[in-house]
Amino acid sequence: MELPIHLSKDSREPIYHQVENQLKALIAANHLHAGTLLPSIRVLAKDLEVSVITIRRAYQNLEYQGFIQTLQGKGTFVAEIEKKLKNKVKTTSVYETFEKAVETAMNYDYTIEEIEEIFQEVLAAHKKGD
Amino acid sequence: MKAYVEISKLQKSIDDFQLGPIDLIIEPETITALVGNNGSGKSTLLKLMVNLASSDSGNIKLFNTTVGREDESWKKNVAYLPQNIIGMDAYTGNTLKALIEILYPNWDNALFMELIKLFDVPLDKRFGKLSQGVQQKLNLALTVARNTPLLLLDEPTAFMDIPSKRFFMDILVDWMDKGDRSIILTSHQVEDIKKLSDYLFVLRNGDMIGNFEKENLTENYKRYWLNDQLPNTTIPGEVSRAHLQIVSNNPEVTEIFLQKNKIRWIDRKSLELEEIITLLLTANTSSHYR
Repeated sequence: MELPIHLSKDSREPIYHQVENQLKALIAANHLHAGTLLPSIRVLAKDLEVSVITIRRAYQNLEYQGFIQTLQGKGTFVAEIEKKLKNKVKTTSVYETFEKAVETAMNYDYTIEEIEEIFQEVLAAHKKGD
Repeated sequence: MKAYVEISKLQKSIDDFQLGPIDLIIEPETITALVGNNGSGKSTLLKLMVNLASSDSGNIKLFNTTVGREDESWKKNVAYLPQNIIGMDAYTGNTLKALIEILYPNWDNALFMELIKLFDVPLDKRFGKLSQGVQQKLNLALTVARNTPLLLLDEPTAFMDIPSKRFFMDILVDWMDKGDRSIILTSHQVEDIKKLSDYLFVLRNGDMIGNFEKENLTENYKRYWLNDQLPNTTIPGEVSRAHLQIVSNNPEVTEIFLQKNKIRWIDRKSLELEEIITLLLTANTSSHYR
């Protein structure tokens, strides 16, 4: 199974972290259900063109946080996770995205008031689209 | 886990070519690509490892046994695919298989037949009558099926067509997934290096440049487009420069320097692995390197 993971080489986020976060997002959004067999470390390393060291690190972190589970000789599976944890992942990722947007705006020397205005405009456009 | 390969201070000179000194450790469950320009000593290194050439000094240990001594117990643990094999032309694939399988106790016949089928290799034709690409496929099947913990492959895909190269990668990935195995391969195919390797062992004209974890290279080489004129002095981390661009292999120190000196950059981009390898293998950057 190929996973829809897209690595950005120019990002300041380390590759293992990108893999970790994108898998987390896929699990939290129910795109990967509990019990789904994940690709082996070696297969994912080949698909994403990174080393097994990087993938192992991502898998170990995910296992530690309870998102996945490795069964000796059987493989790595998506774990049953609490709704609370899923929600936390979703909220965190939305917050991070907003924070990044604000950071970008501030880099372009926008004021907080101007950023708020842009935000309202974007929201208004979405409301209209509904 | 105990290392499969331990090479220390290995040196070998052939006429005016000097290889080494080389230090290299290969851990279980890893794939290492030997990368270097033509004549950099990659094939020689593999030959030294399987005792087909003898070193001038230094030491090679395979599975904790020193190579080149009386105890040759390491041999059953290593399968080596050379670039050119002589003396096979008169034999059919069937005969070659029969000759090889008795030498290797872990010979996996099911795997061998699977590879032959996948690569569509006729086993009843003489080796000499096969095309270079088919010869390579047969040799690969004869090597992988030995099921040894260590696989040494010298330019395994040089003559293969595009679909076969894909099959080849999947085969090696499946093979690695059985566990307790490692591969060392030489390749000029960037695709092989990108998709298969965990480490890149880089040789330039016989000199060891280093053994790098792949992401250690891809995450650390950055190209900056600067706003102003470049300073005349070398910037920390700088490995090359051109016009308003510099390439750094240590972005952290480079950015600290640029910020301190109020030099702004308008863009920052990662380098492709091809570019990084080119920089490592181009002699005139050596003085800047580390």
